[in-house]
Amino acid sequence: MRQVRGHRSGWRSLRHVVRALGMPAILLASVVVAYSADPTVSDPRTMTFKPVEFSPPEPERVVLDNGMVLYLLEDHELPLVTITATMRTGSWLDPADKIGLAAMTGAVMRTGGGGGLSAEQVDAELEQFAVDVGIGIGRQSGSASLDVLSKDVKRGLEIFAGLLRAPAFDPARVELARLQAIEGIRRRQDNPGSIVGREFAKMLYGADHPSARESSLDSVKRITRDDLVAFHRNTIHPNGMILGVTGDFNKDEMVASLRKAFGEWKKGMVSELKIPDVPEAELSRPVVRFVGKDTSQTHLRVGHLSIKENDPDYVALAIANDILGGSSFRSRLFNDVRTKRGLAYSVGSRLNAGMHDQGVWLMRAETKLTSTQEVIERFVANIERMRAEPVTDAELAEAKEAYVNSFVFSFSSSSAIVSRLVELEYDGLPKDFLQQLRAKVVQLTKADVLAAAKKHLRPGQLKIVAVGSGEALPKALATFGDVKEIKLSPEG
Amino acid sequence: MKSKLRLRCRLSEDLVLGRGKILIFCLGLILSLNFNLGPLLAESPSLAERVIEHRLANGLTVLMVERHQTPVVSINITFAVGGINEQVGQTGLAHLYEHMAFKGTRVIGTTNYEKEKPILDELALVGTELDQRQREAAAKSGGATAEERAVIESLQNRLLELQTQAAQYVVGNEMALLYQRHGGVGLNASTGKDVTRYMISLPSNRLPLWATIESDRMADPVLREFYKERGVVMEERRLRNDDSPNGLLFETFTSTAFRAHGYGVPTIGWGSDILSLTPADTEAFFRTHYGPNRATIALVGDINPKETIALIEQTFGKIPPAPLPPPLVTVEPEQRGERRIEVEFDAEPAIVIGYHKPGLGHPDDDVFDVIDAVLSDGLTSRLHQTLVREKRLAASVGSDANHPGVRAPNLFILTAAPLAPRTTAEVEAALYEEIERLKREPVSPQELEKVLNNLDADLVRGLRSNSGLASQLSLYQAVAGDWRYILTSRDKVAAVTAGDVQRVAKQYFTKSNRTVAVLVKKGTDNTVAANPVGEVRP
Repeated sequence: MRQVRGHRSGWRSLRHVVRALGMPAILLASVVVAYSADPTVSDPRTMTFKPVEFSPPEPERVVLDNGMVLYLLEDHELPLVTITATMRTGSWLDPADKIGLAAMTGAVMRTGGGGGLSAEQVDAELEQFAVDVGIGIGRQSGSASLDVLSKDVKRGLEIFAGLLRAPAFDPARVELARLQAIEGIRRRQDNPGSIVGREFAKMLYGADHPSARESSLDSVKRITRDDLVAFHRNTIHPNGMILGVTGDFNKDEMVASLRKAFGEWKKGMVSELKIPDVPEAELSRPVVRFVGKDTSQTHLRVGHLSIKENDPDYVALAIANDILGGSSFRSRLFNDVRTKRGLAYSVGSRLNAGMHDQGVWLMRAETKLTSTQEVIERFVANIERMRAEPVTDAELAEAKEAYVNSFVFSFSSSSAIVSRLVELEYDGLPKDFLQQLRAKVVQLTKADVLAAAKKHLRPGQLKIVAVGSGEALPKALATFGDVKEIKLSPEG
Repeated sequence: MKSKLRLRCRLSEDLVLGRGKILIFCLGLILSLNFNLGPLLAESPSLAERVIEHRLANGLTVLMVERHQTPVVSINITFAVGGINEQVGQTGLAHLYEHMAFKGTRVIGTTNYEKEKPILDELALVGTELDQRQREAAAKSGGATAEERAVIESLQNRLLELQTQAAQYVVGNEMALLYQRHGGVGLNASTGKDVTRYMISLPSNRLPLWATIESDRMADPVLREFYKERGVVMEERRLRNDDSPNGLLFETFTSTAFRAHGYGVPTIGWGSDILSLTPADTEAFFRTHYGPNRATIALVGDINPKETIALIEQTFGKIPPAPLPPPLVTVEPEQRGERRIEVEFDAEPAIVIGYHKPGLGHPDDDVFDVIDAVLSDGLTSRLHQTLVREKRLAASVGSDANHPGVRAPNLFILTAAPLAPRTTAEVEAALYEEIERLKREPVSPQELEKVLNNLDADLVRGLRSNSGLASQLSLYQAVAGDWRYILTSRDKVAAVTAGDVQRVAKQYFTKSNRTVAVLVKKGTDNTVAANPVGEVRP
């Protein structure tokens, strides 16, 4: 289900020799709280707590004449203002021979100057006053953010709007972005985790599909500055943009400032976000592939394409996945593969369902070569069990309680509240979508979960991708189908 | 101090399958805080006044900040123990204990502790003997005799039997299950060289649940499922260090730079040590280092401090303090000559350079924090400007003023990934030019002002998150003995002059004081072949 987005914990930073236990990724939800438990009860298993009412503040929605949508929520605790922009663009619009164009456009919108300022002027001014600005374009949207002390918000907004509306695309910065993109491609095969993730996506969607395709040295070399200018001009428009504004400001004054910064910007033709479905014949074909790399572990991804977030079965499948492997410590895969067998540090399953392309359901683990076969067998056995018998009453109750009781964390900050509304609007979902999900979770039965597992977890259609030591790996995979090798070039 | 406080955001590889909307940029996301913001916080009471401090009779320190916007609370328990407290041959013990701390207590994680206990006791004896016999067999030149092999096999069988017997009483991951059922998020723990930390965020009325669970685990953990978890840790080592080019590069670099001090040992431990750790070692480590007098609990969120103190007194207050642990005596001897090392990996090249420097509390420590920011903080930093933008030698550059820990004398490090076809040698030469420039000419007033402006702003930003604030308070209480270090450190950074930077650069950035580690591509001469993009071979 919708999870907190954001960085997956700084512990992963190689510079911090800190070892985190377990995977993050926890379901979100909203319910709330009252004080307090009976102090005489000291067995944590029998403690009960009342839910209490909590009314999160409501952001205000404003639409400018040019179609730009604003969500605003004042929060005066700290002297900071944050503005995010979510833009209807993305690498789904990349021409087939210039994959990487959207990403490079986003990068140089940030670094190439704009709004009448040179690249050097923008960098110097932002950093001197500790203003954080980020701009990037991903597969299905563009994102930009401004994070500034409220005393500097006027100037920060001017620069931010300049970069979004009139980026200068300084040729030297375009060239630098290209060199860095090339280096990124050259380094793609360094980490087994990166290889397995990308090859798995290509197995699911096909290597040319907008949800899996990748830039190449050739495609990046073909991209010119003119291409960037045109991509920005053709895809980024005020009527394809939603701003989220939170922090220490006065709402009326902020709306006036935003109108001044963006109001004169003319409407444009916003592209329709449409990602093609993968043909049924491809979906149902089981696949076993490996990539040979000199590693101590086999890095595994096993799964197939799945439903979208608005599918009627979404909630039931999400809870099935939660019980199977989505809920970290609580899940069956974690308990079976990690806790009971000690075969993997990181193990679990995920249902990544969005609104614009087919979702992905996958199981993952890294395990030493000699236990590769056992881990895949446990994967298969666990999905067979999900399909063969209902989950237990306790499992379903726990999953529901976890969802409902942690719901409050969806509203844990002003920016969380606003960015949720921005996301929902971007995806064309109702603003109470989360509340609707919660209501469905509460109603869910074991039969619903079983039916969803039977219908949507397909052991006969698994795509298995493994990265590991070449000699023995194909043998470990052989019982799961016809094993073929994916040969990687040394240059990504 | 900046680098001590900051956690840089990195693009997760898992984003490959992520949804397109995930933010794909992360320019210097920094987590930190300051309570001494003066005019910046004119509207709210000084945050220094918002920290409520309480010390229990058993030495446990409690720090609280009330924030009532949302009925949630984030809690961080930090113990002043880490990899640095391990003995030779037992590396990885601090981290293994951290994993074992999730296995429950005499109450949680079991259906019947009385029946489970004798099985666990025997399991520990059998497992320890098995490890020893296997080590002996492996060390024998002619291999083990048939008799010795038979003994090993029977021990293995007995271990399996006992594991099966013990398993019938185990309620797997029950602690995590309880937290999750009650809406807990972000349950996690981490082990570093200096500290070990346990985190959770909960709906705020669940504090009694938290206090019951955590005081129980601080007093009476039970090390069940030990050998399985040791296997999990071995997989973690393979994942983070053996199969990761950067992981292996840093492990090798750090162990080369330190010859005597424990900072040279990887926190996760050497593989052979991990495989020799015993339940008895682990229990002893807990008894020695996990007393309430070594712990700080920081709670930030929707709490009532009076009720919270009462709750903590009722629960944690019963735990007796532990005697002081053995003192850390080893001091790294002065380095007398450059050390260079290569790590071969199936990956593109990278370089790390490190210089020994003093740790927390030394007046020069704050100067390094300024140098760190001047060199690598942002697009206008010196290294980015010269190596990445102007000379186009490197794809990325970085620095860190406190590797791999903060408390003891540590390393100032520089990192870079060359931009092909430029080499690590060219990058290294360019890094030294920047180092020499620090010695030769004073940093500009504008650069110093920028450092301070960013520090102050980042400190305000750090206050946005309950968990970030709880983390900073408990960290500095644990490593500096006083969370107010955050305030004093900021002022010391503000007082650093251009002359200080020049003096420190001259004193510490010398050839004989440095260690250089280079990641080289296995089986090649760093030459670059041109090949088409990978495709599936039928």
